Amino acid sequence: MEKYFLDYNWTVMAPELIILSAAALLSILDLLLKEEADRRVLGWIGILAVAAAGVFAGSAVGNPPYEILSETYRVDDFALVFKLILLAGTALVLLASLREIRLEGERAQGEYVYLLLTALLGGMILTSSADLITLFVGLELLSLSSYILAGIRRKRPDSNEAAWKYVVTGGMSSAFILYGMSFVYGLTGTTNLYMARQRLFEAYHEGYESFVLLSLFFMLLGFGFKVSSAPFHMWAPDVYQGSPTPVTAFLAAVSKTAAFAFVLRVLLATYLFLLQAGPWMELVAPALLTVSAASMVVGNTAALRQIRTKRMMAYSSVAHAGYLLVPVATAAGGMLFESTVYYLMAYLMMTLGAFTVLMMVERDAGVEDLAAFSGLSRRSPLAAAAMTVFLVSLAGIPVTAGFFGKFYILTHAVTARDFWIAAVMLVTTVISYYYYFGVIRMMYFRSPASPKKVPISPGATAVIVLTLVGTLLLGFFPQFALDFLERLDWTSVLHPAGGAAGN
Amino acid sequence: MMAVTSYLALGAILFCVGLFGVLTKRNAVMVLFCIELMLNAANINLVAFSKYGLHANQTGQVFTLFTITVAAAEAAVGVAILFALYRNRNTVKADRYDTMKG
Repeated sequence: MEKYFLDYNWTVMAPELIILSAAALLSILDLLLKEEADRRVLGWIGILAVAAAGVFAGSAVGNPPYEILSETYRVDDFALVFKLILLAGTALVLLASLREIRLEGERAQGEYVYLLLTALLGGMILTSSADLITLFVGLELLSLSSYILAGIRRKRPDSNEAAWKYVVTGGMSSAFILYGMSFVYGLTGTTNLYMARQRLFEAYHEGYESFVLLSLFFMLLGFGFKVSSAPFHMWAPDVYQGSPTPVTAFLAAVSKTAAFAFVLRVLLATYLFLLQAGPWMELVAPALLTVSAASMVVGNTAALRQIRTKRMMAYSSVAHAGYLLVPVATAAGGMLFESTVYYLMAYLMMTLGAFTVLMMVERDAGVEDLAAFSGLSRRSPLAAAAMTVFLVSLAGIPVTAGFFGKFYILTHAVTARDFWIAAVMLVTTVISYYYYFGVIRMMYFRSPASPKKVPISPGATAVIVLTLVGTLLLGFFPQFALDFLERLDWTSVLHPAGGAAGN
Repeated sequence: MMAVTSYLALGAILFCVGLFGVLTKRNAVMVLFCIELMLNAANINLVAFSKYGLHANQTGQVFTLFTITVAAAEAAVGVAILFALYRNRNTVKADRYDTMKG
């Protein structure tokens, strides 16, 4: 039956439409406002839009999967949970940087807000695409907005350089992904992920094994760049260091989550047949495991010798990308989605919290060195305590969100009987204690450079409190989050919606 | 299958030339050109597949229209960033953009 424009239930796209109209509205408002007017109101509108989108996305969780726009756009529990994480991350970044908008933007304050929204929109499109074209457009919307955000302080050479490095590596990785996609299309004649799976399966058994694997590996190479896993992580330290700190937080938490949604969706919706056909265990899983182990080792060891906090956090995020790749690499384990999503939630909380404290401390000190943290416990004991919780959680020490995140990933890896990757994860986690505790040592056992309190804006205080509560709640009561995640219909990712299965 | 092979070879050559250029060129403008080459290699593949693929149809051409648009946007952003960088650094030598290391 042919469906027409109004036959579709458009309310399922409400979150995206809200973000889109908010971004459009903000770009017009920004033009109408006077040059010297306070742009913070734009930030508030942005936060309201994100919250409204979050309400719509949250209320749709649990509904059966729905496909719209001739099966290219798909709203299922998988997409909705990822969208909620993205929305929460963006709202927190906006809230933390409300006062900073004037400083970060330098005459581009409006752009800062609505580029964050368009990047978020790209991420949301990415999480619920069921089609290669939509996936690529969503990915590029996210990437292009992020390139500009990285360079938004256009008077500062390091911000420019970060944006340049990001646009070159990002463009290259997009080209790899697109090249891989072109082979998928060539073998299947369709861009729909679910129909592609069926036809790839046929092509695989008709003698095109090498092309099927080629398409997958080109795409994986591109994903490797996007999630900043080693050995494709070279851009991450420079981009994280040079970008304005709220943008760095956005890249670390939100972009990475969207990229993981992309990896999971494509691997599970399109290439899972390789698990039965054989090459998954022989080629795909070892490749993913190698990348994951390399990220953990490189990220955690390179972070040891950093003296700049943001650069250290960049290497730490490379290591976290490694941990996050473990569940998908050991896909045969028992809790693939639960462990990934739980870790992403925990990672969002602790990273955004840590970056918010970092932003305040660096703004006050005017330098980006670890030394800016010296004696923070005497200057602002509460901020130091919150930072300690975030770092302890990033290190994965009980009882924090990060501990249970790692614990579930390890459980998953062990049930899949991949013991060596679990061992690599344990050893590199112990290595990571050294640099996380380096910051804590700075805060508690060094004398402060100045006795003044670090000024922390109300928005940033709210974000620190929220992420602190999130980190501790996920740490003390992990079963609540896990029960929620277990109730969701994850397996629907694997099947096309409705009656499309047969044709 | 013969017909498509030559197009695929052209695509592969363009892709490799582009990749080589991105990794080795010292002129920042050339680096941006080379990224475009890589994206266009994929476009050639898509168009060739839409004529000679296993299931030939029009979707590939539509996909190409999207990717051409996206590539144009990407080039615009890249050039704009390069302008900002050039204003601050007064050089287009990509290997001089190395203030951040470690």
